[in-house]
Amino acid sequence: MRVYVVDNGGQWTHREWRVLKYLGVDTKVVPNTTPFDQLDVDALVLSGGSPSVAAEGDRMGRNGEYLDRAEFPILAICAGFQYMVAHYGGSVGPAAKPEFGRTVLHVDEPNDLFRGLPREFVVWESHNDEVKHLPDSFELLAHSDDCPVEAVKIKDRPVYGLQFHPEVENTEHGNEIFKNFLRVVEDWKR
Amino acid sequence: MFDAEAFVNEKVEEIKGAIDGKAIIACSGGVDSTVAAALVSRAIGDRLLTIYVNNGFMRKGETEAVEAMFKRVGMNYRLIDASDEFFDAMKGVIDPEKKRKVIGERFIRVFERVAREYGAKYLVQGTIAPDWIESGDGVRDTIKSHHNVGGLPKDMDLILVEPLRDLYKDEVRKVARYLGVEVAERQPFPGPALAVRVIGEVNRESVAIVREACAIVEEEMEKAAAAGKMTLPWQYFAVLLPCQTVGVQGDVRAYGRTIAVRAVESVDGMSASYSKVPHEVLERISVRITNEMKSDVNRVVYDITNKPPATIEYE
Repeated sequence: MRVYVVDNGGQWTHREWRVLKYLGVDTKVVPNTTPFDQLDVDALVLSGGSPSVAAEGDRMGRNGEYLDRAEFPILAICAGFQYMVAHYGGSVGPAAKPEFGRTVLHVDEPNDLFRGLPREFVVWESHNDEVKHLPDSFELLAHSDDCPVEAVKIKDRPVYGLQFHPEVENTEHGNEIFKNFLRVVEDWKR
Repeated sequence: MFDAEAFVNEKVEEIKGAIDGKAIIACSGGVDSTVAAALVSRAIGDRLLTIYVNNGFMRKGETEAVEAMFKRVGMNYRLIDASDEFFDAMKGVIDPEKKRKVIGERFIRVFERVAREYGAKYLVQGTIAPDWIESGDGVRDTIKSHHNVGGLPKDMDLILVEPLRDLYKDEVRKVARYLGVEVAERQPFPGPALAVRVIGEVNRESVAIVREACAIVEEEMEKAAAAGKMTLPWQYFAVLLPCQTVGVQGDVRAYGRTIAVRAVESVDGMSASYSKVPHEVLERISVRITNEMKSDVNRVVYDITNKPPATIEYE
């Protein structure tokens, strides 16, 4: 299985690569300016990064192209996730209460990504912005006390977004979330 | 999972191809640079010269301990005392990024001199993933310029070899254990050393204060861990803060400095939670620092911040 990590300049982009590598996936980190046609993959992870996606969308390179053209599964994290929601008509802005470090995640929809996991567990965060409005084409999967939109799925596609960081050591069940995503990729390939 | 043996075999072959002639390695005696030294010496043998630079900012007894280790291992090494040069360069430097760049450049100037004498054109460094990630690049924000990446001068004339670039600390330790490197379990210590644990100007006096405080923190936590009172944190140290506060010592007013004690749990240094060190141990540290260092320090605080939003070190 080949899953590349699109580098949006995150501190933990390389961690996403490490987690995928440890799970036995054929993976590498690619610049977010890589043309879609050069990506011969089964899935993509869109990493986080420092851009404030509302104001600095140009720093997000070809993320929009990947989202529009991919038929395969995508896991978008932090800035990648915010960009995706904004790209499909949602809104993103400064968080009422930014979250850094430890937060408790409340799972609302325990399917797909959260299969087999507790309904509440500790996750690690690092975001100044948050999703303010989620379009109808998205389903809400999880929230935290201070952030209403922590995990989403595009209803009719195997495309997911996470505000928190499953690739970070301090996040509980982070590996399982990646494994669940890889299961989605396997199912899609069949 | 990470396979240390496969990694070593792959890198040794790669290094053999990359280095023709001689190389020097910048080695602080910490886990990363010592593993890099062991790895490269497997590949090129005695064409590698190990350089330890005493920048004046090392911990108590560190230079002596590192030299003893080099001798035990039978390394081809040179110890260079460049402390005057480093202290001179740090005069009046307050900004943390400036500090790291000044230190990065000083290191390179020393290495260039040694490389010229030794006839080497390659500089091996124990750079690991967090060093280049946090140093920033075209797409990544600069969190801090690690001296061995973001602190390198643009005009340096050595070719870099960095075999550990894609590894994190836990993986480097696995390689260290596989290679039988004796410092495998040493706690991480920053390249700029105590200079980034003095907030404000780095001089012989401020470094001496933080050096003593660091020694007390290490000693007490290691003692408590050996006695089963706590598990040893991933990293544990003292920082000298740039403020003075009022105290009372023997009915006399004191106006001394403040030491912050920092201890964190981490795996890879890219995220960390503060250690829940028993109050009894913290109190012992506080009493020792304020008594033994009474003319300099009259207040000790414990840092309870995770990474993010803080980083592990202060600068």
